[in-house]
Amino acid sequence: MSSVPVARASRGGRPPSLVTRRRVRGIAGLVIGVGGFLLVWTLLSALIFGPFTLPPPSRIGSVMWEIVRSGQFIHHFVPTILRLAYGFGLALLIGFPVGYLMGTSRWWRAFFHDMTIVAGSIPGITYAVLALVVFGIKILGPILSVGLVSMPYVAINVAEGLDSVDHRLVQMSDAYGRRRASIVRNVLIPSVAPFAFAGVRLSFALAWKVEQLTEVFGSSSGVGFQIRHEFEDFSIPGMLAWVLLFVIFMILVERFVLAKLERYLFRWRLEDRP
Amino acid sequence: MSQATTVAPASPIAGVGRLLRSPLTARIASYLFLLVAWQLLSLYEDRFPPPADVFGFLWIEVTGGSHGGIVRGEFLEHFAATLPRFTLGIAISMVLGIVSGVVIGGSKIAEALLKDTLLMLVALPAIIWAFLTQMWLGLGDTAVVITTFLSAFPFVAVNVVQGIQAVPRDLRRMSGAFHVSSYRRVRHLLLPAVTGYLFAGFRFAVIIGWNAVLLGEWFSSSEGVGYQARYWYDANRYKGFVAWVILFIGFIVLIDRVALVPLQRRAFRWRDTQVKQAQRRVEGIDVAVTGA
Repeated sequence: MSSVPVARASRGGRPPSLVTRRRVRGIAGLVIGVGGFLLVWTLLSALIFGPFTLPPPSRIGSVMWEIVRSGQFIHHFVPTILRLAYGFGLALLIGFPVGYLMGTSRWWRAFFHDMTIVAGSIPGITYAVLALVVFGIKILGPILSVGLVSMPYVAINVAEGLDSVDHRLVQMSDAYGRRRASIVRNVLIPSVAPFAFAGVRLSFALAWKVEQLTEVFGSSSGVGFQIRHEFEDFSIPGMLAWVLLFVIFMILVERFVLAKLERYLFRWRLEDRP
Repeated sequence: MSQATTVAPASPIAGVGRLLRSPLTARIASYLFLLVAWQLLSLYEDRFPPPADVFGFLWIEVTGGSHGGIVRGEFLEHFAATLPRFTLGIAISMVLGIVSGVVIGGSKIAEALLKDTLLMLVALPAIIWAFLTQMWLGLGDTAVVITTFLSAFPFVAVNVVQGIQAVPRDLRRMSGAFHVSSYRRVRHLLLPAVTGYLFAGFRFAVIIGWNAVLLGEWFSSSEGVGYQARYWYDANRYKGFVAWVILFIGFIVLIDRVALVPLQRRAFRWRDTQVKQAQRRVEGIDVAVTGA
């Protein structure tokens, strides 16, 4: 199935490397897999469920195009992304000091232990509905739920990063008379940063879902609000179009922006990830 | 628990200092801190009920007392309505998740074709299933069960795929070269590698499924835990609402800490080299999943 692209790649003179071949195979799998998925979906829609219950992908595609073309996309994505960014800013702002306390003191670790553990298994709906009760449909609700969801991950990972700091390196720097600021800048921050970033990446996948859910429950703009709106209009194509646009966008951000950024920032490290 | 309480202090003041510095004190302090924060929040925003009101409501709800008028505590009835739906949804997602995980993990072609679809399913938020099933099936048990199943299933499948791919290739080749019987291959090679991942997948399924069952009940049910939270929310009685939120958080945290985490730790215990890491992961929340 991947013979055509491979043949084309090898025309350049050298035989294709293993990496290229694997990449070509991955892309071919993606194209055929997604194509097959869309085909099955179309058939199910046409033969079994009918276009009202399960709209065919072509219909959803045209609605998606309409959303992007009419400017609705920009109009509702910008507030959603901004809230996500503010929420993450908040999580970093509080998560770092908390993580620092947890990583350096046994007392504070015990203090935050139960909270971080419990935060890991709270259902996302909790954040959404509590934000609604506390803040109504103000913009603060989604921001705060993003912050609350992500903060424990950031804190835990910062604490782990501090645990992993090479103490001999710190002692050596001390012995050679490096100043405290220099040690923090050249030893502590480089060893903690990858962990902190891993925390951000881990919580990102979760944060955007919780944010969207918060918008479904109480907001007057944003993608989640739009999904709710289509649901109340009983429009299955509209709802699926918004969800798919959002999910695809977020997967792209995760895969390309965050993953690339991580690789770039930590390119000096030998091993891949903490 | 802490040494400070058992060792007789040399001087009373040193003893008190050590007691204050013990982890137990830290934990108690953290709960007190939360209570105070909650109280302050309720003072700042009067829609948010203070802890005393909520715990009073919880007491009536759990003991089956009266909230005044004809409304009475219905803690057991609603959990009894939710749990069968939840269990059924999780059971279906486990069965189908294991089957599709084995197919995808076992064959290169299936992996190339289906992996992206699976990752897409993992990324879909549970709310969309709650909405779709409500539109398709209307109010009732089926919509809730299917929401639970559809939300939890991809996570089981992904974990089973990872487990199958984690079987060390050298060992597989070696057992081929030494003609190890297929029973022993499954028993000593495949099962130990997959079991840990399977339990991890089960834990994901339970946590994510719990969120999904609540969402499903919020939108398409007339009884159950999620519905009850919505009932008090719609009635503008926020203390009832917060009380039910506490009930459903408490339930999942209890299940997770008492049953799921020990199970997962036990399933991973053979991996000596990675034990410390695995334990820390289970301990910490980097594998924990807030369902959304």
